[in-house]
Amino acid sequence: MNTLRFNTLQRYRPTRFKKVGSALLLLIAVFTFSLVTPSADAHDNTKIPRLANGKPDFSGIWQTTSAADYDLEPHSNRKDAPPGPGIVEGGEIPYLPKALAQRKKNFENRATDDPALKGYTLGVPRAVYYPEPFQIFQRARDLTVIPQFGHSVRTIHTNNTEHPEDPNDWWLGDSRAKWEGDTLVVDAKHFNDKTWLDRSGNFHSDALQVVERWKFIDPNTIEYKATLTDEQVFSKPWNISVILHRHREKNFQLIEDYRYTLDYDQYYPPKPDQK
Amino acid sequence: MNSNLGKRQRAFSTLILGALISASLVSVAADENITPAAQEKKSAAKPVETTPPAQTRRPREKSFPKIPTGKWTGPRLADGQPDVSGFWSNTIGNHGNLTDPQGGVIGEARRTPLGPREQRAPSRVSDPADGQFPFQPWALAKVKEFQIGFHNPTYPGHVEPNARCAPGGVPKSLYWHGYDVLQYPDYVVFVFDNGSRIIHLDENKPHLPEKLKLWNGDSRGHWEGNTLVVDVKNHNGKALFGRSGEFISENGTIQEKYIFANDGTRYNYEGTFTDPTVYTRPFTITIPAIKYTRAEETDGWNLEARWAKHAGKTQILEHDERICHENNGGFGLGSAQK
Repeated sequence: MNTLRFNTLQRYRPTRFKKVGSALLLLIAVFTFSLVTPSADAHDNTKIPRLANGKPDFSGIWQTTSAADYDLEPHSNRKDAPPGPGIVEGGEIPYLPKALAQRKKNFENRATDDPALKGYTLGVPRAVYYPEPFQIFQRARDLTVIPQFGHSVRTIHTNNTEHPEDPNDWWLGDSRAKWEGDTLVVDAKHFNDKTWLDRSGNFHSDALQVVERWKFIDPNTIEYKATLTDEQVFSKPWNISVILHRHREKNFQLIEDYRYTLDYDQYYPPKPDQK
Repeated sequence: MNSNLGKRQRAFSTLILGALISASLVSVAADENITPAAQEKKSAAKPVETTPPAQTRRPREKSFPKIPTGKWTGPRLADGQPDVSGFWSNTIGNHGNLTDPQGGVIGEARRTPLGPREQRAPSRVSDPADGQFPFQPWALAKVKEFQIGFHNPTYPGHVEPNARCAPGGVPKSLYWHGYDVLQYPDYVVFVFDNGSRIIHLDENKPHLPEKLKLWNGDSRGHWEGNTLVVDVKNHNGKALFGRSGEFISENGTIQEKYIFANDGTRYNYEGTFTDPTVYTRPFTITIPAIKYTRAEETDGWNLEARWAKHAGKTQILEHDERICHENNGGFGLGSAQK
């Protein structure tokens, strides 16, 4: 039971040697094998994990190595951020003039106003490129995304259900997905306006809509793309793209990070030497 | 307006007020009583089309059946696990009082006097037989201090951590709001109103290093017939067990059994807690739970779900996102500073 997912990958390893009966055949086989090995390996790498229903299986623990969360846009190094080329297609986010003023204000106050500093739910898409691991648990009907950071749990529905008729403004929005071949296309909307897109103060309103595209590049790498639309804040839709790497360290696991408890957790539990 | 968030916020402000207002004010299990009114407001403000209005909450059980460990004859998932996925909630009461779950918060005035003890659900402590926690004297003194401080906090530790939206930890998460159980090859995942708990079914995976202490601990489990057996280490002990203030220290370990009835409608949790820092002997906490399968039973506490909108004919139950800390304003910290 524990190795189901790995079996999917191992199944495609060349088994040619087992079937060879004579020395001659063996020699030919070895020769042939050495010729086809490079392409066979490349072929193996394209064998992505799949659910029983044949859809790509994104189960696993993922993380970006990009500096996206420091600032989605190109930025030089600064005291609180490493340099980064940004992940915005075309370089800059197309803010409306009044929104740009707000973004500048957010940037100036980022050391205190970033909602993530309070341990708030990161939102979408920020939870995807925040520099902590997140785990995807996947069934035919949905993907459950659990970031290590904070307490939030995001559900991406893949069971042909639609956005609800009585939506709230959710921290994580409402995510309904469909498959386009091996690409998971997620339509997320019904957000509130309380999350930021990064720690530099890029932001959105409750009119945000995020269309995400999740696709395997190889069994251990996901290409994540998203289009953000918000007519209250942006003059046109814009795109981002990051690569997500599978954590393959032995016994790697999420370690809960409920950091909003840090201000008071010293008071619990009672201790024998406490007054 | 996010009516669901507003509702939760009201529930929490009431919860904190309950902690701050003295016992002279009559308030009975505030968190259980706030919600129907809030639900009515929600319905009045915005008619819900896909989800019927809240029904009367299921009555709390005064007793519950013993479920024997044994074979699983119910449906299984493709990986062989008993299929127990879905929305669950506890049946006898919330986190107000551990040893008398239907007896109200200790030290709180009542509208009507309590009847004989045997008319209410038993203590959550099923071993020792007297239903009492086998505290060492220092720990009992701390608990009694908390039970007074809960109504008039003079120290930040008198505020029940759940009032600050801290994770409920083990075992309280199982008798707070309802929760979702999800199953995958290698994992059983609990999704609570403030956080989640991942139970690793790969027991070859070692526990985290001892130095790491977590609100929900670090869990390794396996199935034995109808029973999910879980070993919990790395628990930080901070969550407390409820408003009655019982706790384990960060040295405590927990051996859990989730014993499922073969018809899939209920399970009993039996957790054995071992902690030589706080207790004189191990003890067992039992928590009965039932499965919720219908959106009509959405009641603002045990279940907050809707029927999904879709073109198909089958009914699909979905849960709203779970948010707590973000809506808790400064209430928790405010009371901590008093």
